[in-house]
This record gives sequence, structure tokens and C-alpha cells, in this order.
Amino acid sequence: MAKQRIHITINEEDHDLLVNPNITLLDFIRYELGLTGTKEGCDEGDCGACTVIMDGKVVTSCLVLAVEADGSRITTIEGVQTGKDLHPIQQAFVDSGAVQCGFCTPGMVLTTKALLDENPDPSEADIKHYLEGNLCRCTGYTKIVEAVHRVALALK
Amino acid sequence: MDTYSIIGKSIPHRDAIEKVKGAAVFTSDMKMSGMLYGKVLRSKLPHARILSIDVSKAERLKGVRAVLTSKDTPMIRYSISPTWADKLILVDKKIRYIGDEIAAVAAVDEETAEEALSLIKVELEEIPSVYDPLQAMQPGAPLVHEATAQNISKTLEMECGSVDDGFSMADVIVEDTFETQAQSHCSLETHCCIATCTATDDVRLWVGSQAPHPLRQRLSGALGIDPAKIHISTPYIGGGFGSKIDLEPAQAICVLLAKKTGKPVKIEHSRKEQFATTRMRHPTINTLKFGAKQNGTIVAKQADVVMDNGAYNSHGPAVLAYHNVMFSTLYRVDNIKYTGRLVYTNKNWGGACRGYGDPQTAFAQEVMMDMLARELNMDPVELRLKNANEPNEVTANAVKITSCGLKETLIQARDASDWVKKRTQKKKKNRGMGVASMIYTGGGSIGSGFNYSGATMQMNADGTLHMLMGAVDIGQGSNTILSQMAAEVMKVEPGTIRLTTADTDTTFPCMGTFGSRVTYCAGRAVVEAAEGLKQKLLEKAADMLEANLNDLEMDDRKVFVKGSPEKALSYAEIGAASFYKNKNPLVAHGYYNGPDVPPEFDPVTYKGYPSPALVFATHLAEVEVDPTSGKVEVLNFVAAHDVGKAINPMLVEGQIEGGAAQGIGWALMEGLQFENGEILNPNFHDYKMLTAKDIPKVKTLLIETIDPNGPFGAKGVGECAMVPTAPAIINAIYDAVGVRVKDLPATCEKIFMRLREKENAS
Repeated sequence: MAKQRIHITINEEDHDLLVNPNITLLDFIRYELGLTGTKEGCDEGDCGACTVIMDGKVVTSCLVLAVEADGSRITTIEGVQTGKDLHPIQQAFVDSGAVQCGFCTPGMVLTTKALLDENPDPSEADIKHYLEGNLCRCTGYTKIVEAVHRVALALK
Repeated sequence: MDTYSIIGKSIPHRDAIEKVKGAAVFTSDMKMSGMLYGKVLRSKLPHARILSIDVSKAERLKGVRAVLTSKDTPMIRYSISPTWADKLILVDKKIRYIGDEIAAVAAVDEETAEEALSLIKVELEEIPSVYDPLQAMQPGAPLVHEATAQNISKTLEMECGSVDDGFSMADVIVEDTFETQAQSHCSLETHCCIATCTATDDVRLWVGSQAPHPLRQRLSGALGIDPAKIHISTPYIGGGFGSKIDLEPAQAICVLLAKKTGKPVKIEHSRKEQFATTRMRHPTINTLKFGAKQNGTIVAKQADVVMDNGAYNSHGPAVLAYHNVMFSTLYRVDNIKYTGRLVYTNKNWGGACRGYGDPQTAFAQEVMMDMLARELNMDPVELRLKNANEPNEVTANAVKITSCGLKETLIQARDASDWVKKRTQKKKKNRGMGVASMIYTGGGSIGSGFNYSGATMQMNADGTLHMLMGAVDIGQGSNTILSQMAAEVMKVEPGTIRLTTADTDTTFPCMGTFGSRVTYCAGRAVVEAAEGLKQKLLEKAADMLEANLNDLEMDDRKVFVKGSPEKALSYAEIGAASFYKNKNPLVAHGYYNGPDVPPEFDPVTYKGYPSPALVFATHLAEVEVDPTSGKVEVLNFVAAHDVGKAINPMLVEGQIEGGAAQGIGWALMEGLQFENGEILNPNFHDYKMLTAKDIPKVKTLLIETIDPNGPFGAKGVGECAMVPTAPAIINAIYDAVGVRVKDLPATCEKIFMRLREKENAS
């Protein structure tokens, strides 16, 4: 299979690379770029552990081919914190006890970021609707929803 | 009341920052130089004889480095104990379920490994299968294991008092049968391991394991490798819920592939493999009979239980025993009879799954209690209060209870949910409330002969503290709360204690994370280690300050004579003096392995079950049923738990909220669907787990009974959090619409159809 050239911006860093046309964005991020914060929970687009933000929208990166992301801007969990301190969403997840095993956490944080970027004042229903695509087996979601409320309030 | 500075504080998980940054490294994130990828060839038939296996084509494929069949293994059967050993790492003559391991390969990449699997030629002769445990016990049924007559792996019979006498005294008798379904653990991280083998045959395994020390023993046994040659480490673990206790065949295969190739080998389960071939919650059929006096006193209860084992034992024999213990120990009943049979079928095997048989027993028992309350025209909370266990009692099945907050959980859950008011006022249409209670261990058990946890505390020359312990944090937060315990004793901030955990080379052994035992058992070990270090620190300080040890105080990493903080010695000064001058570094060990096994303990039935401490809880649900669709909405949910002492209330709440969600899922929608032995829904779009949208806010109530032997009075909470959830919901559904679901899950379709049947009948 002939490799294809893609240009992709990940966490504000430009990459110009040759990739196999059948590699998923998830595998590209994890194995080609070594950004392992993005997790693989099912590889079928069901669990949301591989969530990244692509051109402002959340996508499950296991369902996107790397070549389809050519020309796009992507934020992974490693790009959420931009300064010295944790991003307020990350801090809220820590403080609320919204993290247990942590495998779903990167996806949850990114989905929350996309939600708040789009709607800084979400209702409980908005939060639950947005997080519906991210599965968590540990927390029962209660403290995750609390964390989103907490950060929305703090960012007001 | 003791006052603590760190115990009882809701501090965040100590690894949460790494996790929110995406920096926590799980086994699946690891890659090593020259690493190969292992894949397992699994049976697609449920029951078959292996006639031949030809691996020659696979071996010749470019990029393949090793191919294994049973001939490359020592063919030693294993289980959780030698008594029940029935599983080979790679099967030799016979396949017993869809998923049985036939062969394995290691190749330079996953695609090549997959291709190699497709080149292995296996000749099979299919033989008749049996999927239903009741049919499996019939004469002439196909035998899953030839030596096991009627497919009954274990029979358990216990009678305490006389149920015949008890039932003859009863004013009311209720009888019914309750069925529960297979649940999958669904930890977000699938099983993954990486093995290496050095030139001197030393094996190193990185693995998401809930029990690395027992895993080392089990690997040693199943592979015939000297345990001194095995080193297991646990990177971050993405949840377990019981699925990561057992030796998984893939782990042993990974080790053999690494030995054969001399290269690091990684095996990672796909989600489908995780659903279809790792353990699951045992399905059960429970026929119960309860007898009570008109005043509510239960005079006899009996259970006849059939537990579907699947193809292999794994934890099955112990899960059946737990099913009995939890059935027989909850409530004060003099006459109890329990008959249980664990039955092989040609399906995926059951195993440890959050609650270890207790959710199954609680579903049957607590729905029966609701039916009994209605029969007696009694408030279900009152019926439970009437029969509730008390602190310091010995039950009819010879179980010793220390602390017990069952009554408090009932009373507080009732009061917090407006139970009395909502039940007495005119009921809203299609709305109802249900209650259920439970008992579970809050500190594992020494029933297997072992319940050990070890810890070491050392003070370095610079005064820093390092704790090494065998316990594994799989996400529940044990590293955080055990640090809190050590920090409380040593008067330091918990985050300043360096931690080394769950590594078979560097830490004292720990049985593992299961049985809600870590807080209690590892906690006891940590407190003992910290107290030991504190004593040595104070002795050294007394010597340096020329003071009486009893006059010393510790604060802010300093030791001083009471009233004279200005003449304090810092931990660094004491550490340096011990380390360099006295050549006697400060270090102390802690170890727990209890309680003592009572003489009346029966290892088959678990009569006299030796648990260090038992925990109790009551869940209370309010639901609304939509009769047009059968959909059940959980409106309010109260979970009151006797936790002994909440070391970190926020983390305890997290356990309970997560457990309740798993319980609601099991009650309403989760279940593995089988057809001719094949799992039809091995993925998250067909196996429905609850999402954020489906979850009610869970109101948790922490009841602190301060166990006399628990560390700071604490008891475990992890597993029990889902035990009474399903019956509380099922009882609420009955209260709402009069439909009594006796076979889980209570899906929309099931409720809808039964509402229609009910309408048609009336």
C-alpha cells in the first residue's frame, strides 16, 4: 500500500508525514506520534476513550482515518493544558473526584472542553447529552457531571 | 471521638493529576524495543475434539517469530486452587467453549500475527453441546469434562437448625424462583500484558492485574517455572471489577512466547475478546422458600441454587460458597437450609465479578423479602428491621459479626428518601419505591487459607518517607487512602510519602484487590508499618534529645518535647543520624493475615465464614415506569452504607456511585446474550452499559460504625456497592405497576409485555 502524505496540526504542532492510508487517527496519534493519553477502549466508536477534538468537534479517533484528518487541527489530551497550571476542566475533574481508573478520563475531559467551548453555560441535561458518548465503568458519572458543573461555574 | 488531621478528609486521588493530563501509563501504552505482537487462535465451536493442528504454514509466514500449541506448554491444569484445576493454557484434545485457546503466534506486527492465525489448520470433530445448566444435569447430557458426572463441578449442602421445624412454626410461607443473567465487567481497559525473558530465563511481566502476587504463584504453577524467576509489575490499571484477578491464559501464553523468541511480546485483548473470553458474572437460578410468623419474625429460609459455571471453574466453587454465606448470614434466622450446585456448560466461564455471587443471592433474597412483606402486610423496611443482624452476634451459620450498621442503613435510607410520607400519601400513578439490604465482607476472608497484605515504611537519610506495599490500586483509590493512613500516623502530608506498589520484586506480598479487602487488610499492614516506624523514630529522637519517649510529640516533620517546639529535631536530622551515624536506617514492616480460622469453619460450605469484618448496606430506589414503552426511569436513589469509618469520604462516595450504576445496569439492561454457546453482543453497541444520561443522582449516606479491628475503624466498600441495587429497583417496579420481575434484567420489552399480560388477565 502506497503511503500518503498528510499535513496535520496536533496540539499546535505541525506534522508533515507519510502515513499508511489504512491507519486510523487513533493509531497514528498513539503509535506514530507517541501521544498515548488518547486511549483505545473498543476500536468501534462506542466507548469514547479515544475522543479528540478535530476542527472544534469531538470525534472518536478510532473511526477516523489519519488521511481523512489531512489539513485538520486536532487537540488531544496532551494539548489541553497550555500554561503552567492544569486547565480548569482538568482541575475540576481532580477536585471533584471524577477520576478513578482514569482510562476514560482523557476522552471525558476533551468532550467537556468541546461542550464548554460551544456552550459555556450548559444545563444538567446538556452535560449529560454531551457526555453520553463517553463510557465510564468506575464512577457512575455522578462526580463527572459534578466536575463539569463546577468548571462551568468557575469559568463564568 | 478520635480527632484526626488526615483521616476522614476528602482529598483527591493522588494519581488524578497524571490521569487528567493523559500522562498515566497503562500497559497498553507501553512499547519496547524489538517488541513482538502475540495473538491467540480461539475455537469457533462450542464443543469439539481436536483431531489435528497444522502450524507449518503459519511458521513459514514472513514476520512470524513463534507459534505455540499445547505441545509447547507443560499441560498443567490450573484454577484458583489445585482442587478445582481444570483449565489448560492451550487446549490439547478438546474444546469446551467458543473462545478456548488452541494456538498462539508472535509476529513483528499485529497484521502479520492475524494472518498467521488464519494459516493455522485445525481439524475438529464437533460433539453435542449443552448450554442450559438444568439440562446439563440430566442423565445422558453431553459432558463438558468427562470425569465430572452430570456436569456438577461442586455440590454444596448446608443446614443450620431445622427448616422443617422452622416452616412448621410459620404463619406465612412464600416460595418462588429467581433467575439472574451473565454480566460482563466492562472495565474500559481490556486485558493487556507484556512479557520479556532474559538470557538467564528470568521472566518479567507487566500486566494489568488485580492480584500480582498470586498471579506470580499461578504462573509458576501453570508453566512449571520457579517463582524466583518471575517478576510482575503493574502499570496503571484501567479498572477490573474482578476480571483481572485470575490468571488469564493469554498472560501465560505471552510468557511462553517471550521465552521462545527471546523478545518482548505484547498481547492485548480486543473488546470482542474481552467480552467473549474473559470471565463473566455467573448466571443463577435460585429457588427460595421463606417462612415467617405473623409479627414478621423469619423462622426458616431455604435456597436451592443452580449456578451456571460455564466451561471452566475459575472462581466458581468459591463464588457458590459466597452465594451461600451471604444468603445465610443476612438477617437473624435460626433455621437455614442451602443447596447449591455449580454446573458446567459449553459457554464462556464465570468468574469473580464485583460482589462475588452476592448480587445474585441478594436479588433472590431481597425480592423474596419484599414478597414476604406484602404477604404479611408489613412495611418492607420494618420487616428487615425486625430481622436485622446486630453488632457482636454469631449467626446460625456460625459467622461472627463485629460492627454492624444494618439497622442504621435501613433507618437512614428510609428517612432520606421520604419513604414513609411517599408510601402513605396517595401514590402517583406508575411511580413506586423499593428497598433492599445486603451483607458482604469488608475485609476479604481467610477461607482460602490466606488473606495477607504487607507493607514497609522507611525513612530515608533526608527524612523523606517511602512506603512499599503489595496492594494494587485499580482506580478505586487505595494508594490515596493508604497514604492517608500512613500520613496520619507519621504526621505528614499524604502526598509527600513516596509510594512503590504492587510489584512482586520490591513489595511485600498482598493477596490483591478483591473481596473489598484492601482498605481493611492492606490498611492494617500500613498502620502497623507506620506505627513501627513512628516508634523507631521516637526512640531515636528520645536518645538524641535525651528525653523520655512518652514526652515527645510529632508535628510538621519534627519531633520535640511537649511544650518545647523550639528545640525540635527535624525528620531529616533524625533520618541522617540513624542512617549515617548509627548505621541503623529507620524501617518497619507491617503485615496482616487474618482473622484466625475458627474450628467450625467448613471450607466447602463456608459455614463459619472467617471474615475480619462484615459490611451492610441498604439501597432505596424510586422509579417511574412508562407503561407505553415499559421503560423504567430511576428518579431517586439512596445508598446507605456501613463503611466502618470513611477514610476519604469523596472516594467512598465514588465507589458507591459507581457500584450503584453497575447495579442499575444489571437490573435494567445489561446481559450477555448467548445463542448456541456464542455470545451475540460482544461489543458496547449491543451490550448496553449505562451512560451519563441514564444515571440518577445517587444520594450516598455513609454510616460510620467504627469497626473495633479495622484500621481507624474502617471496613471495605468496593464490591458491596452494587449488591442490593437490582432488588431495590425490581421491588420499586412492582410497587409502581404491579409487575414482579423474577428474571433479570427488567428490560423495557419485558416490562411492556408483562404489563400487557397483566391487563389481558384482568
